[in-house]
Amino acid sequence: MPIQGLEILQSSASLRGQPSALRRTPWVSKYIDTSTCIGCKACEVACQEWNDLPSVPTQQTGTYQTLPSLHAQYWNLIRFDETEVNGNFALLLRKEQCMHCGDPGCLRACPAPGAIVQYSNGIVDVNPEQCIGCRLCETGCPFDVPRFSEQTGKMSKCTLCVDRTTLGLEPACVKACPTGCLHYGTKEDMLALGEHRVAQLKANGFANAGVYDPKGVGGTNVVTVLKYADKPELYGLPANPTVPLTVRIDKKPVRWIGLVAMAATVVGLVGHYLRYGPRTGGRPKSPPPPERQS
Amino acid sequence: MTAPRTLPGTEFSGDAAISAARTKEDIVVGDRLVRFRWRTRALHWLVALTFVLTLFTGLPIWTPIFGWMAYLFGGLQVVRWLHPWFGVVFSFFILIQFIDWVGEMGMTQADRQFIQLGNFLKYMRWELDEEGVGKYNGGQKLLFWLSALAALGLLLTGIVIWFPNLFGEGLREASWLIHDITFILFTLLIMGHIYLGIVEPGTFTAMIEGTVSRDWARLNHPAWYREVTGAERGGREEDRRTR
Repeated sequence: MPIQGLEILQSSASLRGQPSALRRTPWVSKYIDTSTCIGCKACEVACQEWNDLPSVPTQQTGTYQTLPSLHAQYWNLIRFDETEVNGNFALLLRKEQCMHCGDPGCLRACPAPGAIVQYSNGIVDVNPEQCIGCRLCETGCPFDVPRFSEQTGKMSKCTLCVDRTTLGLEPACVKACPTGCLHYGTKEDMLALGEHRVAQLKANGFANAGVYDPKGVGGTNVVTVLKYADKPELYGLPANPTVPLTVRIDKKPVRWIGLVAMAATVVGLVGHYLRYGPRTGGRPKSPPPPERQS
Repeated sequence: MTAPRTLPGTEFSGDAAISAARTKEDIVVGDRLVRFRWRTRALHWLVALTFVLTLFTGLPIWTPIFGWMAYLFGGLQVVRWLHPWFGVVFSFFILIQFIDWVGEMGMTQADRQFIQLGNFLKYMRWELDEEGVGKYNGGQKLLFWLSALAALGLLLTGIVIWFPNLFGEGLREASWLIHDITFILFTLLIMGHIYLGIVEPGTFTAMIEGTVSRDWARLNHPAWYREVTGAERGGREEDRRTR
């Protein structure tokens, strides 16, 4: 059941959402400053606790990382990427989770009406009652976030704690963060906070610091400050994420051309019957006179 | 008392041509020609049934405009589970049908001419000279090959969509697109096939009873008619006018 207190801006496999346009809801965002994250994983625990997710056995991958990647029961994962930047060692920490895109590829790809919704405050949420477990959302997502649960046969992912944020609380992970690298507020405010932090980082010698808010997916409602924003791949983020071209072609032109072609074929065949009918319909099929044009 | 007359070796007391059509085809029985034996018809209807079931469980997943179809089967979640299994059964039957028919579906020179666009449009206006058309015309043979190709494409892309864990992201994306485009073209083809199968009186009966009239055979498949009856070429217009 989608959250009742919020209007729905977009709904999967539906012509439109139901925004009444009676009130303007500011878009909300989570701010993640990867430069002040200490990798304590308090956000991971808070996420599991608040969302009542059962624990997932950890896996040793050679780093401090809890799991190799997100899981149907683990929506918030701190990535530990040990790498080399400009000849120096760098331990890059990033909070991996649903990015809550302005133009969500998962929602575009989803064939089940209402299974994925975007609320009027920009939060992208899954409605398990409508989800049919086809996993097409995985194909639509440029961030590889949606996870299919073998137990429930449904997709699951971060909800930006929509059940908390609707009531004016911050998401559980933000509440738990001890260093203040996580913040929650309007998108506008979080972007301003990001620009402020980027200026600080630049002054401290990180010339390529920047805010990750990719325009290819309509911006993300998770605003991430990166020390090396010129190379988001180092953090496991795509440089120019977009909804895959195949999904966009499949969902708009192919669908409409297909429907029009099917309708046109029905009309054409009825027309053919009216014009030509069955060939034994009475007109003898003798060879036409030599000069006659049909 | 004399026993009812039956074909030798059968206990069937109904129509002799229909009785013969259980096991034989391409023969003359009385005033009827046997066109499709039971096996051919049974296969065709199994393919048709599973095609429709697969289509009707796939369409509501394709677009919500066909969402109502899902309720015929118990809802979108049921349809999502049924569709791949129907697809597997359809693939099985169309494979058997392919094996059964492939020997008769080689394209002759006349067939290749038939399927040229200009000639095909002429055929659709019932104006094409079809003197050389055998048991299957070029359009039917083309449909046979295109259906086989489409079914193969749908099966392969369907497997990728069904078991996404086993395949890479690029292949999964391509499979969804190819699956949708293929099924649309296949469906358009089948719509035309169904129309041509019912528009002409006698054609649908051929797939039900297995038999056709002499007039039907002479009109639609003259070379096959001559082959089965041993009739001479020509005299065609005469026959039609005196029918």
